[in-house]
Amino acid sequence: MLETPLIERILDETFEVLETTGILIDSPEGFERVCALGLAGDPESRRVRFPRAMVEQAIRSAPSGFTLYDRAGEPFTELAGDRVHFVPASSALRILDRHTGKVREADSADFVEYARVASSLPHIAYLSTAFVPKDIPSDIADGWRLYLALASSSRPVVSGAFTAYGVERMAKMMSWFRDDREDLAARPLSIFTCCPSTPLRWSEDAIQNLLDCAAWGIPVEVVPVLLLGMISPSTTVGALVLHAAEVLSGLTVAQLVRPGTPVLFGGAPASFHMQLMTNPMTAVEALQVYCSYAQIAKHLGLPCQAYMGLSDSKFNDPQAGAESGIGMFLAALAGFNSVSGPGMLDYVNCFSLEKLVFDDELAAHAHHFTRDVEVKGDLPTRPLLEELVAENHLLTAEHTLEHWPSELYLPGPMVDRTNWDQWEMQGSKDYRERAGEIIETALEDYESAPIDPRLDAEIRELFASTCNTPDPDLPGLPH
Amino acid sequence: MADYALMNHRLFEGDRETVPRMTEEALAEGCPVLEVLEDGLIAGMRVVGEDFKHNRIFVPEVLLAARAMKAAMVVLQPLLTAADGDSSAGTIVMGTVKGDLHDIGKNLVGMMAEGAGFKIVDLGTNTSAEEFIAAAREHDADLLGMSALLTTTMVYMKTVIDEMRDAGLGHIPVCIGGAPISQSYADEIGASGYAADAGSAVELFKRLTAPAGDSAVQTATVGGS
Repeated sequence: MLETPLIERILDETFEVLETTGILIDSPEGFERVCALGLAGDPESRRVRFPRAMVEQAIRSAPSGFTLYDRAGEPFTELAGDRVHFVPASSALRILDRHTGKVREADSADFVEYARVASSLPHIAYLSTAFVPKDIPSDIADGWRLYLALASSSRPVVSGAFTAYGVERMAKMMSWFRDDREDLAARPLSIFTCCPSTPLRWSEDAIQNLLDCAAWGIPVEVVPVLLLGMISPSTTVGALVLHAAEVLSGLTVAQLVRPGTPVLFGGAPASFHMQLMTNPMTAVEALQVYCSYAQIAKHLGLPCQAYMGLSDSKFNDPQAGAESGIGMFLAALAGFNSVSGPGMLDYVNCFSLEKLVFDDELAAHAHHFTRDVEVKGDLPTRPLLEELVAENHLLTAEHTLEHWPSELYLPGPMVDRTNWDQWEMQGSKDYRERAGEIIETALEDYESAPIDPRLDAEIRELFASTCNTPDPDLPGLPH
Repeated sequence: MADYALMNHRLFEGDRETVPRMTEEALAEGCPVLEVLEDGLIAGMRVVGEDFKHNRIFVPEVLLAARAMKAAMVVLQPLLTAADGDSSAGTIVMGTVKGDLHDIGKNLVGMMAEGAGFKIVDLGTNTSAEEFIAAAREHDADLLGMSALLTTTMVYMKTVIDEMRDAGLGHIPVCIGGAPISQSYADEIGASGYAADAGSAVELFKRLTAPAGDSAVQTATVGGS
């Protein structure tokens, strides 16, 4: 999409913006902490300048990839190169109830159900703290989601904090699954999302979270949320400069705190709808920004992340299918290492388990589409074609028997490949019934892997003792 | 004593060299012909059919097993004929109807049906009513199968059915299939049956051709319905 000379011009412009316009650190304490790292800032405006040499040094010190580890500390997956992982999107405020088809607030039991189903899906790489349970005091809800995910699944989790000091509590909890704090940095269990506040600004909460994550060595995805035409140039190149400046400001801070902290070149650029005043992340011009910044990240040798594969539709309708499929295919082609999107509807406000199940299938399709095209016993081709002409088919050919299982992907029930009559014979099930069956099977087959009871008690005590609400009512986990 | 379990297994694997050899060995040991057919071959094909139905194996594996079955039937057929008359599951005359050159689905049905023990007389593509009638008479067909891919050619199926009846062959069941075909179309033109895929076509053939009480043929399942 971008030629190298244009990428270099965009980066030159980015360095210029960082060095001259600088980044606003919107908190006195955060400003002081950032300046203490060796960056020059104006105390009056709290705008910090990022010299090009320092940013380039930070890019060099940031790893080009890293390994995520599971709850038990075993290597889980590597985020590097063009390895693509599809992950549930994060932080919805509501869910689409799969039984009633209505939108409602979620509770802890919903979250546990989600975590159990998500960890059973073969193409959803790891979990995220997908939505916010409302049966928990809001000041501990960020960490509580992470606890529920860790208590329900051994997979790593994409997460993040809601308050300025939320990271500390969550990091402490994660470190209890490791030998100590340094062991958590060496074997990360999570990626934390840190969002600058476009344009060119870090809020008090976000900069504190970024500094704390880096201090703990927790991998960070820096996720600017541009609104093209409103708080970003409406054109792709201008948007990319703004986007890159915000990501690289976060990356530089993280590297100054702790060189080698993994940082994903992330993003959730959206268009600004000039009539409705909404912010579609799936807008076609936003998709162009996504795919372009992936190229910039790869040019810099950094792992990258995107909010793609989600939908701005309210329901699992054709729009949702199209937006999710387009997003996931583009993300796979762009080589995003972590793609946050599956399961999400309505401008990241509503999570749907049925959509997650469908998106798992889309993820499989995207992975299969982007597999390498290789010579597989089909060059020279003439002998194979002569066999075809002689036999009239290749169904029982040695070549077919060897290659069809890996070449011809057979989708699961969410992609209906029956013809009308077969569909009727199999009960005329619509997508909700089919998704429901997958979900119920996942829940029935779920094998509990509870946290050690003593550690579990310790974690719950951590929440109880640090919650603003005295003696909060912390729900037990379903069996 | 013939090892039918091993024979079933080799059949399942589509081993078209071992299965006929084991068939010969079983006969040489004095095993009854119908026992070899039922316990050695049909029992194996039943597993193939079940596994196909439950998505444990797929079309290539079914066809390989069918090919091995066919190779064993070459050994068994003359003896069966001598002992029991014509013991094949039945003779099916099939073809793609006049004006239509699409035969992939029809060929697949033919291969699957052969694996289930049917004798297939394949008339190819662009088959006229006269050719169907002539072949049905010549081969004493138990069933006639027609396929069409095009909505413009499927209407010819009714012509064939009507002419079959006029020719005094109305007693021969006629099955139809193909992308534009449905059960309601089959009902409309007076066809005896319709199948949505090759697996269920074979099931349909068995239902329409097996005499009452012929459990060996009725249970030899190839492909799911």
